[in-house]
Amino acid sequence: MPSIIVKPKNLKEIWKILPELPAKRKYLSGGTDLVASANNRLDDSGCWIDITDISDLRKITETKDKIFIGAGVKIAELKESKLVAKWLPALYSAVDKFASPSLRNMATLGGNAGTASPCGDGICALCSERAEIILEHFGKRRKVPLIDFFTGPKKTVLRKDELIIGFEMPKWTHSGVHLKLGPRTDFAISKAAVSICIELVKGKICSCSIALASVAPTIVMARKVSKFLETKSLTSETVEKASEIIKTEISPITDIRSEAEYRREITGILLQRALTALSN
Amino acid sequence: MRVYKQELFKIQCVVNGRRIRKTIPSNITLLEFIRDFLDLKGAKQGCLEGECGACMVLVDAKAVNSCLMMAVHVHGKEITTIEGIPLNPPLTKGDGKGDLEGMSANLHPLQKSFIEEGAVQCGFCTPGFIISARALLKKNPKASVSEIKKSLTSNLCRCTGYEKIIKAVDKAKKCNW
Repeated sequence: MPSIIVKPKNLKEIWKILPELPAKRKYLSGGTDLVASANNRLDDSGCWIDITDISDLRKITETKDKIFIGAGVKIAELKESKLVAKWLPALYSAVDKFASPSLRNMATLGGNAGTASPCGDGICALCSERAEIILEHFGKRRKVPLIDFFTGPKKTVLRKDELIIGFEMPKWTHSGVHLKLGPRTDFAISKAAVSICIELVKGKICSCSIALASVAPTIVMARKVSKFLETKSLTSETVEKASEIIKTEISPITDIRSEAEYRREITGILLQRALTALSN
Repeated sequence: MRVYKQELFKIQCVVNGRRIRKTIPSNITLLEFIRDFLDLKGAKQGCLEGECGACMVLVDAKAVNSCLMMAVHVHGKEITTIEGIPLNPPLTKGDGKGDLEGMSANLHPLQKSFIEEGAVQCGFCTPGFIISARALLKKNPKASVSEIKKSLTSNLCRCTGYEKIIKAVDKAKKCNW
């Protein structure tokens, strides 16, 4: 555990006090990853900056063409948001598949992105929702497409002290779903997960984005199969073909959680299930 | 802004219906605060990584893993531990020598149905299960068996098995409380 925890009231205060804090410092949000690693003596920070109660990070808001979700919004709170239910169906569907009910009361979307696990459910769904991540560094903000934010397992483009403010998603009329397969139905880390958003016009797909988790060192977009699906009708033939294409698009590895071939196979099956669910 | 240096934080919160004021090190978890500073030993230390749910408590009526929450987070909040679950009067300190008959008269219907259904074996996980079930039934008093199962995914049991626990929660929801 760090010997000092600071709790700034707002963003301005963070930037004011940062230079005076011990060099080994981290932001503390939901705590489900950071406190767990400190409990296991895997965290050597001298200082935590507690951002849990900063109100700017706890908002879900809308503008004419975008939805904003603050980095500190708890996963369970997403389920209670009418905006999320209306505009972000894949993210809404990922909530129940995210960890366990008690962890969902604590964990945040910002933390999910900061942890940058290749199997993160929240970030996988956000990528399919075409999210951009908003970052702030000493008062200066920048936006990065979320898919480009991740550079490897637990690695991101975040600079030292840069803070995740939240996520911005475009408003577009679409349906979406997040499906995962793990060793158990609930509270499991996925062997593979598929998040898909599609816009159907008169039975034809006019826009499609698919994000995959646990099949690469980071969350990846399945661009080839998305392109194939655009302009197609959702017939069983299309669904079958799409599930074959996606298998050629990924190169998963064998590790402690699953085998490469199994992952490849179930990614196809998950896509098939997802498309079938969306066609009904 | 607050700066919490070790030994310097004065915490105020409500635990099991009673106001608490304590000076604590800022870098302890809620679980350490509950067990070591309030002497409430119901919440258990299990895996320390959010898998087992043995440390579960309610913070503002939401079930959380107290091993992953810092004590400073609950400043100004309301906490319910297993000791606060029995019906009146709320207990804040267990001395382990309570009058058993008196205690069982006070038991919450959830606790009673756990006993009646044989849903307790070694008992290590029981406080966590009851806290999870309490959070669920308060929000959704008519929870279906499948909803009960989903909500208990936060908790692990390694000896009773889950059937009796699920039955106990299902039975408790039918009680008038």
